[in-house]
Amino acid sequence: MTRSLQRIWPIATNTVREAIRHRLLYTLLFFAVTMIGVAVLIASLSYVEGERIIQDIGLASIRLFSVGIAIFVGIGLIHGEVDRRTIYTILAKPVTRAEFLLGKFVGLLLTVWLQLLLMGLAFVGVSLLVGAPLDLGYAAALFLVGIELMVIVAVATLFSSFSTPMLSAFFTLGIYALGHLSRNLYFLGQEADVENVRRAATFLYRVLPDLETFNVSIQAVHGLPIPATEVGWAVLYGLAYTTALLSLAIYIFHRRDLE
Amino acid sequence: MTDSPPEIVRVDDLVKDFRPGLGLRSKRVLHGVSFAVREGEIFGFVGPNGAGKTTTLKVLMGLIRPTSGRASILGCDVGEAGFRQHIGFLPENPYFYPFLTGREILRFYARLCGVESSLLAERVNDLLALVRLEHASDARLSTYSKGMLQRVGIAQALIHDPEVAFLDEPMSGLDPIGRKDIRDIILRLKAAGKTVFMNTHILSDVEMICDRVAIIVNGRIRYEGPIREFLREDELRSDIVLARLPSETSTELGERFSATLQTVGETIEVQVREGQVQGFLEAALGAGAEILSVTPNRVSLEHIFLEAVEEGERADARADRGGEGTS
Amino acid sequence: MIWVSWGRDAGSGRVLARDLGGSSRKAGSWNSTGGTEGLRVIEEGASRRRRARFLRGLLGLGVGFLALFVADAVHLRNPPSAQEGLGDAFVPDPAVADLASLGFGAVVADFYWLQAIQAVGGDVRITPELGAHLGKLVDVVTTLNPWVDHPYRFAGIWMTQNEQNVRTANRLLRRGIEIHPGDWRNHYYLGFNHFFYLLENAEAAEVLEGASQLPNAPRYLPRLAARLKSESADLDMASVFLQELLRGTQGEAARESYRSALDEIEVEQRARQLEAARVRFRELEGRDIEAVDELTRGAKPLVGELPSPEPSSLPASLRRGSEWIVDPSNNQIVSTYYGRRYQLHVPASDRERAEGWARERELREAAGR
Repeated sequence: MTRSLQRIWPIATNTVREAIRHRLLYTLLFFAVTMIGVAVLIASLSYVEGERIIQDIGLASIRLFSVGIAIFVGIGLIHGEVDRRTIYTILAKPVTRAEFLLGKFVGLLLTVWLQLLLMGLAFVGVSLLVGAPLDLGYAAALFLVGIELMVIVAVATLFSSFSTPMLSAFFTLGIYALGHLSRNLYFLGQEADVENVRRAATFLYRVLPDLETFNVSIQAVHGLPIPATEVGWAVLYGLAYTTALLSLAIYIFHRRDLE
Repeated sequence: MTDSPPEIVRVDDLVKDFRPGLGLRSKRVLHGVSFAVREGEIFGFVGPNGAGKTTTLKVLMGLIRPTSGRASILGCDVGEAGFRQHIGFLPENPYFYPFLTGREILRFYARLCGVESSLLAERVNDLLALVRLEHASDARLSTYSKGMLQRVGIAQALIHDPEVAFLDEPMSGLDPIGRKDIRDIILRLKAAGKTVFMNTHILSDVEMICDRVAIIVNGRIRYEGPIREFLREDELRSDIVLARLPSETSTELGERFSATLQTVGETIEVQVREGQVQGFLEAALGAGAEILSVTPNRVSLEHIFLEAVEEGERADARADRGGEGTS
Repeated sequence: MIWVSWGRDAGSGRVLARDLGGSSRKAGSWNSTGGTEGLRVIEEGASRRRRARFLRGLLGLGVGFLALFVADAVHLRNPPSAQEGLGDAFVPDPAVADLASLGFGAVVADFYWLQAIQAVGGDVRITPELGAHLGKLVDVVTTLNPWVDHPYRFAGIWMTQNEQNVRTANRLLRRGIEIHPGDWRNHYYLGFNHFFYLLENAEAAEVLEGASQLPNAPRYLPRLAARLKSESADLDMASVFLQELLRGTQGEAARESYRSALDEIEVEQRARQLEAARVRFRELEGRDIEAVDELTRGAKPLVGELPSPEPSSLPASLRRGSEWIVDPSNNQIVSTYYGRRYQLHVPASDRERAEGWARERELREAAGR
């Protein structure tokens, strides 16, 4: 186990290093400037609840950008290694494919979390600047965004383990959209008259990730209570779902010919 | 042979089919390949491009799964990972993370192999010295030349002091000095009691350093055995280049000496067995030809190789139309 | 087709290459350094291109995001389109918008909220159509993000052009009360709408009573409710309501509308005093006045001095010397400043329409039964 970690860790840190040396930080800077610019602009547009709108936009931007980064980096994660044949020398070392995949996953997740942290700091900065409220609810919201990102990165890793970047992007975006719709699909399905439609809706609801579980940004911005138990269940759900996805990814990747 | 050293690599009846795409007919690349590599030898896996050398090596490295048959290294099935502690691998035209420096990439591989951190720096320095990359060790790999990347490839393959080294075309694309350096490294490995498995299509390398070879053509093993025995089967030949040879004489000479005369521009090239050189030259001069050069040819493998290829082609054409192997 | 090539010695460059198919081929340099070098460069170029494409994609995403808001902000800064372009201003069905927002409901709600705010900014006259449009916008906003605060009252403030708009606003206010049950202000606006526009004093009293126990609620709410129960609508009550609305409302445009209503009530109160004097004049003189200033004349003037026909808050620079006249069309005393008498409730045209709707509703209900 510790031996495994000793092999996963270098692969993960290497993935982070690759991402950082690829100047992703410029994106972050751009994001921060955009967010502040938009915040100032919006504050001048609405005569009420300007701070709330700034925070709405801030949290939405954070979620949008971090998911974008997760998808765009994640889809080429495995494919790039196979394509550039960098994977050959790594798998010839005493590294199992599972360890390799987990290393790439952890590396990407750390990269995305690092970005989330920086965006979160920018959010806090802007909130302080405009005198918007800040409390633990915001921390919970950002934390759950991090858990949602973990699921998204796992989805991207899964598709990347057997598919081209183009298809992976398509699939992962699809899962992301469906993941935010799955509750609504469930409710819509339950209103159907046909028994099989109801069953299909229930099936989809249970199979697709319910990403709305991780979305408490509205509650945070409006100061509504976010019970610790709710956060705990969301974390457990995210961890379990991620583990399931990674298991599937490892299974597929293990059986794959790397040409 | 009862006293022959233990087998390090064992390949039995390996078959590999590739399916180019959904619904397309699968293509057989390996048709039941078998051979063995023994401890302490330099084993040459020789064949033309597309013969199945790299495919076989990928099976050995666990990168692809055989359709049938089995392969083992150090007694372990190649699907496992544990024994990789004891093997090193240099892929063909290796490519590494371009954003790392030479030193960083070696540290990375060393850590993957579980080299203890106290030994890490020393080990990396040793390898950098071995492949003569100390001067560029802190430059990004993106600035490295092809030859330097090949040296990095060698270094990473040996970073954990493996018992067996698998090298895919280790000399390809190197200048003469680079080739000599790598030849020396391989010979040093042998001197240290290591086993080397080497894919190559360069026959001079094979002749120079290999103890035993397996020759693979179109996914089939044509010969496996000591290189000396292989060479003994055929005599040495000489390359003769001549000009102004009348064409009827040319045909006659070809039949008499069972040699193929090739017209290259205004000159004619021919390979003649060692004992017949005298007779051929006399006959050619008698017919009014001009002798441009006579070169004793030490690489007879080449000819045998060509014959093997042609033979293989014919056999394959008989066996199945359309199964041409890969390119 | 397969090319087989191998050399006896790479250094010499002497090469024997043969096509397995049998056709001869020119002897070329074999797998030389140059060739593979080129390959590596291509690979490197490819990864650089991939990287560049990725960064471009992210940049595009950011630019798009920014552009969306800038474009919208700039676009909405020009209010004329808010009215003229209403036909094009598509507001999605709230349920559809909720589905399509994919977890970004809050920010999409903000988008429509800004549209609503911009639509009433400036000197825009709120037509019944614009009022209905605002209702759709606020409906989307409060469906996507029910926890918003002001938009509910925004509907109460601006959707007063006809009965239908007022009823829609009331529905939205009730949604606000459901989400923020502890906030007295939504109750207050709802009560005002019932009293002021719909003449439903009983409902207004009920709503205000419900609010009177809430934190920060004005202390006079129970009294107001009691009066609403006992009396018919009067100007003082409207004035009290409006003054409280003025106190509790942010947003200059909305405050201005309350101020002008209060001004009109002030002038209306004066007009009513004059009408009262006119009644006594008739009793005393046995005839009606011919001009309003007759009230100040005679041995015993009924009115010492005519009150100003213009609201007292009007700055001197804007005074235009208005006067009191008797409107020949309806024989009412009217300030030329407004040109008509103030009606506590909806304008006559809207009242007719509202009555029309009421009849239609009854017919529908009758048919349904």
